[in-house]
Amino acid sequence: MNLSVQLAPKNKHGLSLANPVMTASGTFGYGTEYSHLFDIQKLGAIVCKGTTLKPREGNPQPRLAETPCGVLNSIGLQNIGIEAVIRDKAPVWAGWRVPVMVNIVGIRVEDYARMAAKLDGVAGISGIEVNIGCPNIKAGGAEFGARPDLAAEVTAAVKAATSLPLLVKLTPNTADIAGVAKAVMRAGADAISLINTPRGIAIDVSRRRPLLGNVTGGLSGPAIKPIALYMVYTVAGAVEVPVVGVGGIATASDAIEFIMAGASAVQIGTASFTNPRAPLDILEGIEQFMKKEGIEDIAELIGAGRR
Amino acid sequence: MRQEVASVTANAELMPQVHLMWLESSQIASPAQPGQFVMVRCGEDFEYPLRRPFSIHQQDGSKLALLFNMVGRGTHWLSQCQAGDELDLLGPLGNGFSIHPGSHNLLLVAGGIGIAPLVFLAQQALSQGQAVTLLLGASTAPQLYPEHLLPPEVKLVTATEDGTAGKKGMITDLLPDFTGWADQIFACGPISMYQTMTKQNFVTTKPVQVSLEVRMGCGLGVCYGCTVKTKSGLKQVCQDGPIFDLDDILWEELANGGV
Ligand SMILES: Cc1cc2nc3c(=O)[nH]c(=O)nc-3n(C[C@H](O)[C@H](O)[C@H](O)COP(=O)(O)OP(=O)(O)OC[C@H]3O[C@@H](n4cnc5c(N)ncnc54)[C@H](O)[C@@H]3O)c2cc1C
Ligand SMILES: Cc1cc2nc3c(=O)[nH]c(=O)nc-3n(C[C@H](O)[C@H](O)[C@H](O)COP(=O)(O)O)c2cc1C
Ligand code: FES
Repeated sequence: MNLSVQLAPKNKHGLSLANPVMTASGTFGYGTEYSHLFDIQKLGAIVCKGTTLKPREGNPQPRLAETPCGVLNSIGLQNIGIEAVIRDKAPVWAGWRVPVMVNIVGIRVEDYARMAAKLDGVAGISGIEVNIGCPNIKAGGAEFGARPDLAAEVTAAVKAATSLPLLVKLTPNTADIAGVAKAVMRAGADAISLINTPRGIAIDVSRRRPLLGNVTGGLSGPAIKPIALYMVYTVAGAVEVPVVGVGGIATASDAIEFIMAGASAVQIGTASFTNPRAPLDILEGIEQFMKKEGIEDIAELIGAGRR
Repeated sequence: MRQEVASVTANAELMPQVHLMWLESSQIASPAQPGQFVMVRCGEDFEYPLRRPFSIHQQDGSKLALLFNMVGRGTHWLSQCQAGDELDLLGPLGNGFSIHPGSHNLLLVAGGIGIAPLVFLAQQALSQGQAVTLLLGASTAPQLYPEHLLPPEVKLVTATEDGTAGKKGMITDLLPDFTGWADQIFACGPISMYQTMTKQNFVTTKPVQVSLEVRMGCGLGVCYGCTVKTKSGLKQVCQDGPIFDLDDILWEELANGGV
């Protein structure tokens, strides 16, 4: 049975995954944290916490709220910064079989480019996931990923700074997901992952104020699955690069839905909080499904549910 | 730290709205230390995506107990669990209390459900030959943790807000009489209790450790959901805590955020 997928066919390094199950940025730390709970080397790839040029402190408490089948988070990109990732984490990853990608996020276009340049050629780093779901100061606080032109500008800047395989991660907080996807593909994205979290709010009724310290947060978990699936379906029909599905995937059957919608790989996020073994359980479930259905190659499933 | 499917051996309402649950959980119970906690998966499938954190209330060989207040969806679901049911636990997590070598007299201060981690601490301290005084406060008599479940060697002093048992008032009102005796103070209760303690100068002449509650995502140091600002920088409550020195926490900021 062949489960392997290639996420960057046109890139000189390529990005070959042993299987299509990845972990989503911000929900799996740097990979090391889960390594004593199960064999993380069995996964397709790991994407590390969103990383900025300088370390960030993040937002005030509370940062989390549970909603029906979902989670609102306003972590505010607390992270150790790109230098610490390169110095402390990459050497660990270099000894791993599972490829690790660094999720980068900037306030300005130059931030993205500078981080990409620093990551280029670092042992242990197999690719970059460019998170364009961050408010952009120059564009009056709109997310880079809200507009095709801004999204393309970031992608092109990163592309020019590195030869590493590039995954561009789209935000659902846009009116034109297909337009953004096409724009980043033309600007050099090797693959496209989606979705990041749609924006949401919860109100604390006893205190009569927003529950999250930052007022708004991003919604994740099973609650967003149909939205994510719709966007993956739409984008897979609009671009010629591999698509990676993210959003509310908790079971193997969820993952297979994304693959049938056109995703070449999937990322598991919030489900890892509910069950740290979820990524592995999902991988095993996909294998069982393929066995049961007599499918030899995962490629037979990619896009199989489209019409 | 392990993920373990534990079987419930008992679960009953001990005080109004408060359940005592015993679980057979050999991998987590044996290494557990007082002040550490577990993350419990609640609900069917993925309906409640976040695990709920609970202090380890007692440990007995391969069994551990949780003492929980029914406040929302997860704890109501937990209250329905019966002997024989299985629960998915992660633990033991966090740093735990630390009893300094040379401490003889330990003062434990419990506000309401804050008694949860302190019973385990009292048991350990007594087994090491230390003396334990427990100041136990609740809103009203039925909410006081039953004395017969405490080790008999514990010196117990109670207070209720409505005066139905023990001294009438807040448990912190009793602190001036005991801080002189104590080598170390360990407290668990609402943030308002900790804020009162920071204002009691006599308290801060002694080392005080408190257990912090914030909302948690992973419990493993992964998500940064539990980060708080302290005088010594950003801390993750699930890893660096939940036990902190009272004077290390920026209480005003935390009270403003709340849980
Ligand atoms: C380290 C630690 C130890 C704890 N030990 C105990 C204990 O021994 N006994 C006990 O009764 N309670 C304890 N708590 C509080 C307990 O976790 C919450 O009461 C519980 O999560 C509420 O869940 P719920 O689904 O009933 O409430 P809901 O309000 O429905 O929960 C919604 C979400 O908010 C979170 N949440 C709500 N209240 C709190 C809170 N006070 N602290 C942290 N997260 C919260 C929940 O975990 C959940 O993710 C502890 C908290 C922490 C952080
Ligand atoms: C606590 C938390 C932190 C996150 N941090 C990041 C991040 O740093 N960078 C990023 O691109 N996405 C981040 N995400 C979004 C996830 O990677 C994922 O896109 C989203 O949660 C949807 O997937 P899920 O429903 O499987 O969680 C975060 C999500 C959560 C819940
Ligand atoms: S709860 Fe996730 S880092 Fe502490």
